Amino acid sequence: MALDYFILVFISSLGVYQIAAIHAKLDGLCFFRHPVVQYIFGILAIIGAFGWFITSKDRNIHTSVEGSQQLGLFLGSIVASYLFTAILASIMQAKVSSKEGSPREGKQYDTGIETLKKTTLFGGIMSSLRRERKDKV
Amino acid sequence: MPPLAGWTLTVTGFVGKSPALDHVMHLLVNDYFIPLVICLIMLALWLGHSDRLKRDRLQRTIMNAAVAIGISAAFVKVINSWSNPWPRPFLVNDSIIRESARHAAETIFYFPTDPTFPSNGATIAFAAATGVWLGNRTAGAILYFLATLWAVARFYTGIHFFVDIAGGAAIGILTSLFISKVFMPRIEPLPTWVMKLCRSLYLA
Repeated sequence: MALDYFILVFISSLGVYQIAAIHAKLDGLCFFRHPVVQYIFGILAIIGAFGWFITSKDRNIHTSVEGSQQLGLFLGSIVASYLFTAILASIMQAKVSSKEGSPREGKQYDTGIETLKKTTLFGGIMSSLRRERKDKV
Repeated sequence: MPPLAGWTLTVTGFVGKSPALDHVMHLLVNDYFIPLVICLIMLALWLGHSDRLKRDRLQRTIMNAAVAIGISAAFVKVINSWSNPWPRPFLVNDSIIRESARHAAETIFYFPTDPTFPSNGATIAFAAATGVWLGNRTAGAILYFLATLWAVARFYTGIHFFVDIAGGAAIGILTSLFISKVFMPRIEPLPTWVMKLCRSLYLA
């Protein structure tokens, strides 16, 4: 049950990240270039995850996944899903960027997820490392 | 027996009469479904605004709501350790209420073993809804609706008395108001440090 719950949260939060990324214009988290495709992917991920979880077994049974364990699984799963989203989007967009010959750069002083409006997670980390090195020199 | 215990008999009497309603309640009462939908809405609010300042404000709201959920759940644990004023509806001495609630719980849910008062589910769901409502009225209203659905489902399945639900909701709402309006502003700059840490990890 714990693993099933982890998978449910992982996939459904993947869908939430894709939909939220459209609204927040966080291009660095997007899997697709077309917002409609991304929206459909997000909705399908959420519905699919819930559909699988609810229909695969009877979930109204007394289990050991309760309270604090549920919270721990939820937090672990949304962070894992976020990292998966950011890394996969970085890889996918790096491919696109190298084909186009125009790697994306983050704004000099953007921090946190604001950076992901202009660049990917990898791009953001690289630009902040470059900035730190520049500051030291 | 708690006050208004007779209401349990009225509500659980509907179980088994409408299979469609029972199916809906089977989904709504689930331990994972509505809590996860509430959490995913909070997650979407955490990320889903393009304006940096508005997103920062929403993230503060979500952090307050998350702390309120944790504190109110801990508060329920403390109450449970001190007192357990009455048993679950399917365990009471009154045989009519007991059998009706037993039938409802058996048909739709299972027999929980933890204390009934206050309802844990109602506490955390209303704490989340109140915390979010203070920062975003629309999302807060949706969360109140979901919290009410969950609470009604738990009442319908005979695992809580009405007073358990009302008590849990009151604790959740009051705790959330206290956390958002009094506690979190008082412990500054700790929340700001947490936000900065999240920002440095690309989480906020």
